[in-house]
Amino acid sequence: MNTEMTRQSIPPGPLAYGYDGPAAVAADEALAHEQAVDAILDDCFLSIGQGIGLRAALDFDAVLFVRDNFRPKFLAAMRHCGNRWLQDRTTVTAVGWMLGERAARYASGAPSINLDAIKKASADIERYCQLHATRRSGGRGRAGSEAATALIAGYWCTWDPKE
Amino acid sequence: MPVEHIDAILNDCLLAAGQGIGTEKSVDFDAVLWWRARYRKFFLHAITANGNSYETDRRRVTAVGRYLGQRALHHASASPSVDLRAASLASHDVETGCQMNAVREGLSPAAQHATA
Repeated sequence: MNTEMTRQSIPPGPLAYGYDGPAAVAADEALAHEQAVDAILDDCFLSIGQGIGLRAALDFDAVLFVRDNFRPKFLAAMRHCGNRWLQDRTTVTAVGWMLGERAARYASGAPSINLDAIKKASADIERYCQLHATRRSGGRGRAGSEAATALIAGYWCTWDPKE
Repeated sequence: MPVEHIDAILNDCLLAAGQGIGTEKSVDFDAVLWWRARYRKFFLHAITANGNSYETDRRRVTAVGRYLGQRALHHASASPSVDLRAASLASHDVETGCQMNAVREGLSPAAQHATA
């Protein structure tokens, strides 16, 4: 007797209340974002490393700071705008290079970039993104225009996770 | 360090790979995803089997990460970016070297069977 049950062999039945409702869809989206954000962070860390190059190492507590600082912001950005990583990736990883470059500069020749240096570099980058996004959004760019693209450069790291 | 830190460990290692690549070429996203999937599985296995000794091993592991990036850059010499092919060739180079070191130091499963 074949007891194997395939997807097709499951008879359609009534769905439990709320199974496919807005709350469930939102929960599915949140789960998808949770799964995507770690790959996005890996992509960003790789670009930060590119910016640092072989000039210095990075202390592990500095790595944890970057992760803890940007992960909630990325999740908030995805909650507000959806996962646009493939469209925005080139712009955001360029900012990652800049973060690495700034951090190496703050370490000023030390063999390893410490927590203080990465905090300063992150603050610079966030300020840059905020200013860039604000200035360009003043131009009221349409979607797809240069102004809209520049706005995107900022939104990944400027969403308040509590919003 | 708890096993939940696996993603932070991956962040650390991919940062090291990026250091080895430098700013000469960009890296394709599918190459990043491939590295992530591959090393997440390996690291999780290592942590589950041997406990998490990343704090002790970090210096050595990140040095290997930088070497991985350098090999990927080498294999991508003819491409505009580090693509999946270059990433997988680099992994092959690095893993071959790691395997040889592990056997020499008596850390690989094969070596442990031989001495058991």
